Amino acid sequence: MPDFMARLSGVTAAYDGTPALGGISLDLPDNRIVAFCGPNGSGKSTALRVMRGLHKVESGEITVAGRALGDWSPKELARQVAMLSQSPQAPSDLTVEDLVMMGRFAHRGRFSGPSAEDVAACGKALQITEMTELKHRSIAQLSGGQLQRAWVAMTLAQNAPRIFLDEPTNHLDVAHAFELLDLIRHLSRAENRSFVIVLHDLNMAMRYADHVVLFKQGAVTASGPTQDVLTEDAVSSVFGISCRILTLEGLERPVIVSWGKNRG
Amino acid sequence: MTPVMPSAVRLAPVLGLLVLATIAAIGIGSSFMPPERVVSALMGQGTRMDEVIVWKLRLPRVLLAVLAGAALALAGALLQRVVRNPMASPSVLGISDGAAVGILVFLWMFSDEGNNLIVSVHWQPLAAILGASIFGGLVMLLALADRGGNRSLKIILYGIALAALAKAVVTLLIILGPVYRASQALTWLTGSVGAAHWDDVLTMALGLALAAPFLASQRLVLRQLVLDPESAATTGVPLERAQFILLATAVALTALATAHVGAIGFVGLVAPHIARVMHGQFRSFYLLSTALTGSLIVLSADLLARTIAPPLELPTGALTALVGAPLFLYLLIKGRRYHA
Repeated sequence: MPDFMARLSGVTAAYDGTPALGGISLDLPDNRIVAFCGPNGSGKSTALRVMRGLHKVESGEITVAGRALGDWSPKELARQVAMLSQSPQAPSDLTVEDLVMMGRFAHRGRFSGPSAEDVAACGKALQITEMTELKHRSIAQLSGGQLQRAWVAMTLAQNAPRIFLDEPTNHLDVAHAFELLDLIRHLSRAENRSFVIVLHDLNMAMRYADHVVLFKQGAVTASGPTQDVLTEDAVSSVFGISCRILTLEGLERPVIVSWGKNRG
Repeated sequence: MTPVMPSAVRLAPVLGLLVLATIAAIGIGSSFMPPERVVSALMGQGTRMDEVIVWKLRLPRVLLAVLAGAALALAGALLQRVVRNPMASPSVLGISDGAAVGILVFLWMFSDEGNNLIVSVHWQPLAAILGASIFGGLVMLLALADRGGNRSLKIILYGIALAALAKAVVTLLIILGPVYRASQALTWLTGSVGAAHWDDVLTMALGLALAAPFLASQRLVLRQLVLDPESAATTGVPLERAQFILLATAVALTALATAHVGAIGFVGLVAPHIARVMHGQFRSFYLLSTALTGSLIVLSADLLARTIAPPLELPTGALTALVGAPLFLYLLIKGRRYHA
């Protein structure tokens, strides 16, 4: 087991010549929940995409699961790292069950039907995302939250030890957002899975992440254990807002309260 | 997952219709032959006369229609998955017309004054593949170089533009090229299985026999391609390689069919849609269902082409469009169920 799920060194990336990452270096610990936080356009999604080989780097090196990114074959990498992107799309007549089975692509035989293992992995993914009863629905018939859970189920069915999630709490109400993050924490603790999650909600990051990486304008301003990184000073300077970090009785982690640019 | 049996059973209607159409197509002609005589001639138990009519005259034509329909339908299904757009088809993307350009250039370059080819006609499919590849490749290169906006829409737009260009080149070649080739070229541009020989049937069959196991091995990749490119890639699909290989297969299938029966339109567009509605695009044997539907369309169109105004024989392609276009309109209007 490598000690790092991913290591980036001097990575730069751009979209059509517009720089998105300006030479970032980063070591992400394995078996942890890592949150990428930062303002819009700060490079956190791009960092996730280059780590999964979805976007080409201009320079720099990336190692994932102990091997250089370019040395992985697509299927091997898929067995190591699953990822749910920000706005995934599938045809509306696809059923939930068929969508989740698509997560098994890297495991399935070329000519045979789904193996017992494939069926079991899908069944489990449907069950822990509470989608079992909806499995025969087409995805057009799902609410926004159900659809997001269907995609999460597909990502989990891939059974990779490392999972990247780009704003997975999008479209989820508060209760389902907490449920998803509780599930992620459970999978991290019980099955030793590693997660990198792009999170907009700093309180979610504070509550669930073991390790936080703060992005600002394509650079990493801080990376380390959650409470060392999410400080009043760091949050204020990265987001340009005023905030206070408070400890509440009965809560393990503090909460962040912010009130915009002006001192209240 | 969908169990295998019900999906296989779903093939029964189209298979049944295809068998009926085959028997009808063999029986109907300048001398009518009732089904029982067709069947016994096919089994080698008919009269000598019947057997000559069936085996020498009608069966090659029927089989060529079946095989070409299957090839064009498969090409359409592959393109629709690769481009992720239900509007994609060999004719929309300029591949059919590219093949036509290839063949006309071939005829122009290698004919002598006496209307004879100076090289073997067996090179013709190669010319078709070359033309289809050049135009299909240009469409993809232009779409790849275009960084802005919706890639799949861009492929369609560049395809339409290049198809128009290819059509213009074809028209010019017919007008400016050797006169004695013009009428042959015209029939063949609308598409016809009228001049079928066992040679054509064998080449087509060989091409499809090569494509079939490959497509069977790619069925999961093809299914995965309905996802957005990033999701498909994260599940482990070697995206660019898969798209290239499947596109090349579609080009080869189109060129093969076009070289033998001409530019029969609408089959590649409509057959995958009919199979979606009738069979289901996420069931096992979707591709087989698409291929059988394509066979059925071209065979029926040819049957109509021969019988609608005897003794005149219309080009098959004119009838596939006549049957295909309204059917496609109907599916578009009715079919909110299947967005790609």
